[in-house]
Amino acid sequence: MALLISMAAGVAFGAVRLPMADVIAAIARALRGGGLGLADTLVVQVRLPRVLLAALVGASLAGAGALYQALFRNPLADPYILGISSGAGLGAMVAIVATAGASAMRFAAVPLAAFAGATLTMLLVVRLATHRGRLDATSLLLAGVAISYTLAAVTSFLMVVSREQMASIVYWMMGGLSAASWSYVAMVTPMFLVGVAVPLLATRELNLMLLGDERAGHLGLSVERFKLLTLASASLLTAAAVSVAGLIGFVGLMVPHMVRLVLGPDHRRLLPASLLAGAIVLVLADLAARVVIAPIEIPVGIVTAVIGGPFFIWLLVRGRA
Amino acid sequence: MGPAQGEVLLAFQSATVGYAGVAVVSSASIAIHAGEVVGLVGPNGAGKSTLLRAVTGDAELQQGRLAIAGIDSRTLAPLQRARIVGVVPQQVTAAFALPARDFVAMGRHARLARFASPGQRDLDVVDEALMLTDTARLAERPTDELSGGDLQRLALAQALAQEPQVLLLDEPVSHLDLNHRLQILDLVRDLAADRGLGILAVFHDIDLAARYSDRIAVVAEGSLSPAESPERAITAESVRAVFGVRAVVGTDPVTGSVSVTPVLREGAVAPERRGSVFVVGGSGAAAPLLRRLVLGGWDVSAGALNAGDADQILAEALGIAYVMIPPFAPMSDQAARDAAEMAVRASAVIVCAVPFGHGNVGNLAAAAQAACSGRRVLLVGDIEGRDFTGGTATTLWSEALAAGAAAVSDGVAAEAALRSSGIVEER
Repeated sequence: MALLISMAAGVAFGAVRLPMADVIAAIARALRGGGLGLADTLVVQVRLPRVLLAALVGASLAGAGALYQALFRNPLADPYILGISSGAGLGAMVAIVATAGASAMRFAAVPLAAFAGATLTMLLVVRLATHRGRLDATSLLLAGVAISYTLAAVTSFLMVVSREQMASIVYWMMGGLSAASWSYVAMVTPMFLVGVAVPLLATRELNLMLLGDERAGHLGLSVERFKLLTLASASLLTAAAVSVAGLIGFVGLMVPHMVRLVLGPDHRRLLPASLLAGAIVLVLADLAARVVIAPIEIPVGIVTAVIGGPFFIWLLVRGRA
Repeated sequence: MGPAQGEVLLAFQSATVGYAGVAVVSSASIAIHAGEVVGLVGPNGAGKSTLLRAVTGDAELQQGRLAIAGIDSRTLAPLQRARIVGVVPQQVTAAFALPARDFVAMGRHARLARFASPGQRDLDVVDEALMLTDTARLAERPTDELSGGDLQRLALAQALAQEPQVLLLDEPVSHLDLNHRLQILDLVRDLAADRGLGILAVFHDIDLAARYSDRIAVVAEGSLSPAESPERAITAESVRAVFGVRAVVGTDPVTGSVSVTPVLREGAVAPERRGSVFVVGGSGAAAPLLRRLVLGGWDVSAGALNAGDADQILAEALGIAYVMIPPFAPMSDQAARDAAEMAVRASAVIVCAVPFGHGNVGNLAAAAQAACSGRRVLLVGDIEGRDFTGGTATTLWSEALAAGAAAVSDGVAAEAALRSSGIVEER
């Protein structure tokens, strides 16, 4: 319900304000297949896909965050902090540069490359943070940050060598939904659905992971296989979000955390609620990005970072107390 | 409802277990039957937990065989294993803010069909597990707010919810108070007796191990001894060999089970070798001194002691030479000669403040003889009020003093006098 309201608000508000009645009428006309006016086009071709995309990206990021937090038993884990978003970003960027001018190929190559980048980065970070068979929580965050920086350097280098696309790449990297279109929605939806399917069917197993690998195994979970499957799902969700919206930080960290504070750590509720809350948060953040200094649009990644940075600091300080 | 009593549920056959290719316990053989509690005792790091972890698949089975309910451990998938084996680990991790009931219900995982929700039977099993472990009142509390003892009992409840045939307990009561300690161990014994569970439990506390185990196996220096009755497994010799502790091993008069009173640690004995001391004691009068002298590195022997006397039990535990005489019996002529011989062989003699009667005055005679032979003799206290021989003891006491014996106030002073006298000799 809250998602519907925020999505409706997302469609209605923007640089040009539209009355809600007009929005509904526009959607109705579009569904009937009638001719569209200028306002109708704005609603159907620009606002609606953008809001849907924001919801999908937000849900993907929050879902990935919830999964990483469960698997690493670490409430500070999220795709952005672990460097996995950067990995997906670099993958996507390589695909963008490589397929310059061939936009049909780009449509398939970018998500695939993002997924590959996310998976490789995750494996690398986990490997770096594992000492004598144990995954160390602090090392995990440090490795994530270190990898992020390294990948950022590589990404910057790529920007410099492909000057003609620098502006769009920079904008994309800051995280934004301004390029939203129905084709993006079509690209992300299957990734999102595949990415959430396994975790949503395995919430009981995710709960077992709260006890740690060893206990989960004692209670009958094939831990290694489950981790692999879940990490692949989380990487897919991260790749989905990054390939259409660039690097949007902190949604994956904040949303599952807030939901956990309210609903508790039971994944049977936590995961679906995080997906929903992630969608709401990003729709609202995108709305804020569009209207705060309208008609100039801020990349939504800046909005989430402005809220998320202090939130992360609060978490660290609270954790120490 | 459980398996038939006596069926072998867990069988290590020449099994070598360890981690990353390095063996921790080699060639272990033991069989756990339905209906019995087998205790594992041994020093820290000896590999007790590793044996349990081999059963859960967390440690490697490097050589030999391990059969779990007749199935080769190597072929058991986690889900199948979890239906047979329940584990209570040493350290129980809270499941964040998840309520205790949900924590216990996690034990049902292996019993539930893949996407099925828990049914009435599952809920009943969880309720029963909560009740048995006395955790029902904690059911709605978040696990991350519970104490280590509560978590330990919840972990047992979780393991019971698995409805296992084999229960592995790694120091299951280490965090529990006295009351819950007994309650949980009584429960464990009942689970074996009434439901036919086969239970393998690691114990730190040897007394508890002896009291609650049907059989005990000792793990030390990478090997596992055969499981035997507590009386056969826990002896002064085995405690000294395995733990490096000299102990009085007796029978607890209340529970009737083996009870171990540690006396001194081998490692605490002073490394320097001092001279030999012969001590006259009895009725526990010499006990603190005997212990101090052994710790101080002295070569201690003792006069005649009645079997069952506090000093005799301690002398036995300390492994020192002494003349044993039957309970409440007077010293025979042979015993008196033996005591005198030991006294003269020592370089110093200490006579503790014991009462002397006709039964033990031979010890004092031995001391007096040693004094006359030029040995350094220390007499603790005064003979007055302790002579029940009608003057014989007083005479011997005076003879010793006349021959150069010194009077000291107590055992500590006696030991100090020995140290300052510089009696150090080859053995």
